[in-house]
This record gives sequence, structure tokens and C-alpha cells, in this order.
Amino acid sequence: MMELLPQALTDGILLGGIYITIAIAFSLTYGVMHVIDFAVGEWIMFGAFTGYYLNKWTGLDPFLFLPVIFVLYFGVGYVIQPVIHRVLSGTKGNPFLMGLVFTFGLAIMFRGLALTAFGFYSNSIPSAFSEGSFDLEPLGLTVTIPTVRLVGLCYALAITLILHYLLKKTNFGLGVRALAQHKDAAGLMGVNSKRTGSYVYGIYVGISAMTGVLLGCILSIGAQMGNEYTIFAFFVVVLAGMGYLAGVPWAALLLGLVQSIFMIYFNPSHTLLAVFAILYIILLISPRGLFGKGV
Amino acid sequence: MKFGFVRVLLLIAALFVAIPVHAEQRNFFKIGVITELSGDLVTGGNITKRGYDLWAQEVNAKGGIVIQGKKYPVKLVYADAQSNPAAGAAAAERLITQEKVDFILGPYSSGVTLAVAPVVDKYKIPMITGSAESPLIWKNKFKYTFGTIPPINFTGATSIKTLTEMKPAPKTIAIIGSNDAFSKATAEAYKTAAEKAKLKIVKFSIVPSGQDMTPLLSAVRSMKPDVIAFGGHDEEHVKFVKALKQIGYTPKALLMHCGITDKAFIDAVGKDGEQIFGTTCWTGTAKTKSNVLWPNAAAYAAASQKAFNNPGDYTQGGCSAAGIAFQTALQKIGAKPGMDEAMRTKLIAALEQIDVQTFYGRVKFATSGEFYHANVGLDPLTVQIQGGHVKTVGPKASVEAPAIYPMKDWKSR
Repeated sequence: MMELLPQALTDGILLGGIYITIAIAFSLTYGVMHVIDFAVGEWIMFGAFTGYYLNKWTGLDPFLFLPVIFVLYFGVGYVIQPVIHRVLSGTKGNPFLMGLVFTFGLAIMFRGLALTAFGFYSNSIPSAFSEGSFDLEPLGLTVTIPTVRLVGLCYALAITLILHYLLKKTNFGLGVRALAQHKDAAGLMGVNSKRTGSYVYGIYVGISAMTGVLLGCILSIGAQMGNEYTIFAFFVVVLAGMGYLAGVPWAALLLGLVQSIFMIYFNPSHTLLAVFAILYIILLISPRGLFGKGV
Repeated sequence: MKFGFVRVLLLIAALFVAIPVHAEQRNFFKIGVITELSGDLVTGGNITKRGYDLWAQEVNAKGGIVIQGKKYPVKLVYADAQSNPAAGAAAAERLITQEKVDFILGPYSSGVTLAVAPVVDKYKIPMITGSAESPLIWKNKFKYTFGTIPPINFTGATSIKTLTEMKPAPKTIAIIGSNDAFSKATAEAYKTAAEKAKLKIVKFSIVPSGQDMTPLLSAVRSMKPDVIAFGGHDEEHVKFVKALKQIGYTPKALLMHCGITDKAFIDAVGKDGEQIFGTTCWTGTAKTKSNVLWPNAAAYAAASQKAFNNPGDYTQGGCSAAGIAFQTALQKIGAKPGMDEAMRTKLIAALEQIDVQTFYGRVKFATSGEFYHANVGLDPLTVQIQGGHVKTVGPKASVEAPAIYPMKDWKSR
């Protein structure tokens, strides 16, 4: 069974790549706006269906539409954010809880809308990348890397690096980080919290929608697909430390590796149990995530 | 304080006591439908809904069910089980106590059916599920629950037998099931049949529902099984085929249940669906003859195509057949809408006695043994996707086209 280890590690890393794409923007929006968006899976689902229909109507590869989908959903996020901001910045009751309830309601509404608009069947997005794989033979062992999953990992790393650059090397990023640290003080320093919040939420929705296209090429799409991804986005972000962006890739890779190794070497039916157990143990030891840097 | 505690106890006790359901006078049959209209199993739930709706439309188009010369239309009242057994049980409770339905057409999934069956037993309301296939339902011997699709341990063995008759005969098999009542039962049925057929089982795994199975399939690939059999639902099938293709492993035969017989699955996976084997008990091309509603399978498929732009699969057909079973039993006992408990007991007896030829084939419920109240009137079929169509490839008596074996490599398609 040890000959399977390289393949198990490869599968785990590629699975981790998928989890990075799901969780990275979700973490960003929590870090800045302090909103846990329960509709993250539904943004992924909408992006997936947009990619599916664009591919169907034009016959072009869905990956070509990623910029279009980003711009389109950036616009959607930019327009919706003020509504969420209004819910979160109330003075009565518990604004944080209201944010949770509001996005949870959005998720249910979006799922219903999707069922009506797209129907109830599962589907798949064809892509040129879906064909083929790379076979490596280290030390006489065969390791297969599916092209589409490798593209997914590259996409995840590219998004991570772009976000890192945006936050650390630009004035906009400086404003975002200031806002995440202290909203009022950032405002006094000239950071427009409303507009910056709208940009961040737009970026988050845009990235999530692009992720949907990728997932549609690797896995399947359906009106009810969002729920599963919301749960995993939440897992990864909690494990990384709420709002700690740099921890997301490591947490995602850890979850991917745990899942892969458990599926291959242990009882596959206990895979999710293993994921939960590791999450709880880490949170017991370090309540602020893997690196102790969560909010 | 003490009085409060007593009140709580009384309330809990009340939950276990069924309030008798009083009949309502109506000139139409009010039928409750519990199925999965949201959640993970929404596809199957809507397929069952189509089956029930098509039956109701056809009956109402003819003026209703003829009881002693008078026509009574049918009205379906839906309750969403949300792909959740607890929600299904609550929905059943509501349909029975508030909507006061005459009888119930049951859920898509076995998990929800297992939760609803005790509720209908408690209130003595007859239910036929046109979809659930887990043997557990029938082993529980619920008095008021029937099913038109035979359990998977009745049908699954046929597909394994068909595969063992291929040349060169497969020697090894890997069996995977999703972790829900139906899919797990499917995997277990394939396992039992494979052991009986002397196939070497190199892997048997139950995986959490909806998961990406690529790592597990990588492990399966290293064992090079001739056959891979998988029990799951529609979106899992799509993921499964894509994962196998991505890791570049083509078994000699890939057997999947359920949902591959639906046109939507073929549309979703395209050429990758070719040569996949499936287990079923009905196809739109089955040679059936009936005097009730649709004269044969082809007429039903045409009606379904017209209504939903889809010829319908065996699940949808099973649901329409469930309506026909009720209709036949009601006519037999001369039951009118707003049945009391005595009439519902008669209806159960009538359902146990019916033996009717429908567009779906023969409907005959077992009255004893492990298949108690499941339909044992049908012959299981092995099908294969060929040229974008579902063709029956086994058993010999029902063959429409010879099976294509071994499967063509993913890369050369």
C-alpha cells in the first residue's frame, strides 16, 4: 500500500487546491467586512451555471470566460454590498448575527431561484482541460496528475498571489488592511469604508463565481451544489484562523491531504469524521486557527 | 414546578398517541405527496413529482377515477421532505392531520421513506412509494407502506449476472456505495451478487455522500478491477465518471445505479456515458401491455416526452404506476373520497390482492417474506448506454442490443 503514498499526497494537494479556491475570497471578506457569508456556495453555483451557459451558447472553452465572469460578478457584489453593510452596521440588536441570518436567507433564496431558472438536473461543464493527464513515474511508481485539477491548483495559487500582492503592495490593500484592523481609525485616515467594502465584496463574489466554473469542469454542477462548498469554505477559514488570509492555503492543503490519505488508507466512510476531528482538535489547542492569527 | 414537569410528560406522551384521522366529505380524491423538492436529492424528488403529476393529469383528463359509475378527479397536495428524513416525517404528519389526505404517494429516497413509513402506520394511512428501493423498508414490514419498484437486492443480481456472461468473463470487481440508505443497499446488493457469481471483490467501500472520490478511485486503479460498480445518485454519478476519466482508468465494465437511465445523465456526461451499464426494471421501450391509462411503455414515454421534454426513466414510471395501483385498488373496493379508517383498511387489503398489468409491467405486491409489500411482478433488466440511448442488454429474454464489452478507453472516444 505504501506505493500509493505519492498518489495519495498528489490527490490531497490537488484537492487542497480546490479548497483554496473556495475559501480564499471567503476569508478576505470576513477579514475586512466581518461577515460570514453563508451564500458563498451559491455565488460559486451561479458562476458555474454562467460558465455552463456561455460554453453552451458559444461553444468556446469555459476558461476563456473567466475574466468576463469575474467582471460580471464583481458588479453584482459591488451592487449588493451596501445592503449587507446596512444590515451589519445597525446599532440595534446583534449586527453580526443579523449578517449571518441575512446571508443565510440569501443562500436559501438563491437556491430556490436557481432551481426555477436552471432546473433540477445535475450537469457538467466540458473543457479542453478535462481531457488528459500527466503520468509521472518517480522511483518506478505511477503518479497521475489530471490536467484539469492541475489547472485548478495553478488557478488557486495565482489567485492567492494576486490577493497577496493587492493587499501588501498597493494603496488599496493598505486601506483594506487598515479597515480590517480598525474601521473608525481607517476612516479618519481617509479610507472610504463603504466603497472599499464594496470593492472587497465585489472581488470576493467575482472570485467565487470564477471558482464555480472551475468546479463545474472538475466535478459537477447543480442548483443545490452550494451548500457543500459553503461548509468546506467555513472549515478551511476556521482552520486557517478567521480572516487570516495567509493561513488559507495551508489549511486547505491540510484538509485535502487528510481526506485523501483517509480515503486511501482507512475507512472511506469515516473521511468526514476525520476532517471534523482534526478541525476540533486543532481548535481546542489553538482556538484562533492553525497559526493562532485568526480574528 | 412539579405541575410543569407533569405537563411536559403529558405532552411527550401525546406525541406517541395518534389522534384518529376523521374523514372529510369531498367529491375528489385528496392525495398527499411527500417528496424531496429541495436539498441534495432534489433531482430524484422532482423526477418522482413528474411521475405522480403525469398520472394525475392523465386521470383528470379522463374525468377522474371511475368508482361505481361516478368519476372522481384527483388532487395532489405536495409536501417537501427537503431531502431530510425528519422533515419528511413532519411533512407526513401535516398532510395526514391538517390536510386530511385520503392516501399518500411516497418519497424518492429510501432514507425519507424509512422515516415516513412509521408515521403512516401510526395514522393508518396507505402509502405507495414509486421510487424507494432499499430492502430495509420491506424487511421492517410496515403494514401501510407499499412500493412499485422492486428492492435493489431483487434487481441488482441481474446486472452482475449479465456481466459475468461477457467474453472474456470479468474476474475482479470493485464496489463503491454512497453513504445513504439506498446507495449503501445498492453496493451491498452488488456485493452479495458478486460473491455468488464468484467474482473476486478487490475493494468494497462506502463513502460520504457527495464527496470527491478521486483519491479512492486512485487506490481502486492500483488494483486494476475488471468491473467497477457504484451505487449513488445523479450528481455523484457525474462526478464518478469524471474522476475515473481524470485518473485515466477505464475498467472493462462500469455499472452504476440509479439515474443513468435518465436522458439528463447522458446529456451531462456526453460521450463519456457510452457503454456504462445500469440496473433497472423498466425502459421506455419495454414490451408491456395494459388497459389502464397508457397501453404500453412507448405510449407512456411519448406522453412524458410531450409533458416534460423527457421520455422519463424507471423512477418516474414507477411513480405513475403507484398512482395506477391506488386507482385499481380504489375501484376494486368502490372507495369514495373522504375514506374512514375501515375503508382505508379495506384499501390495504385490496392493494395486497391486486395483480394488474400496467404500462410499467406487472404490479403485484408481495404479502410475506423479505419483500413484504414491494412489487415483485417485474423482471429486472440490465441496460447499457449505446449511441446516446438506453438499450436493454440482459437478461437474454429482454435483449434489445448485444452488450458492448469491454468498455472503450476514455482517451480513444
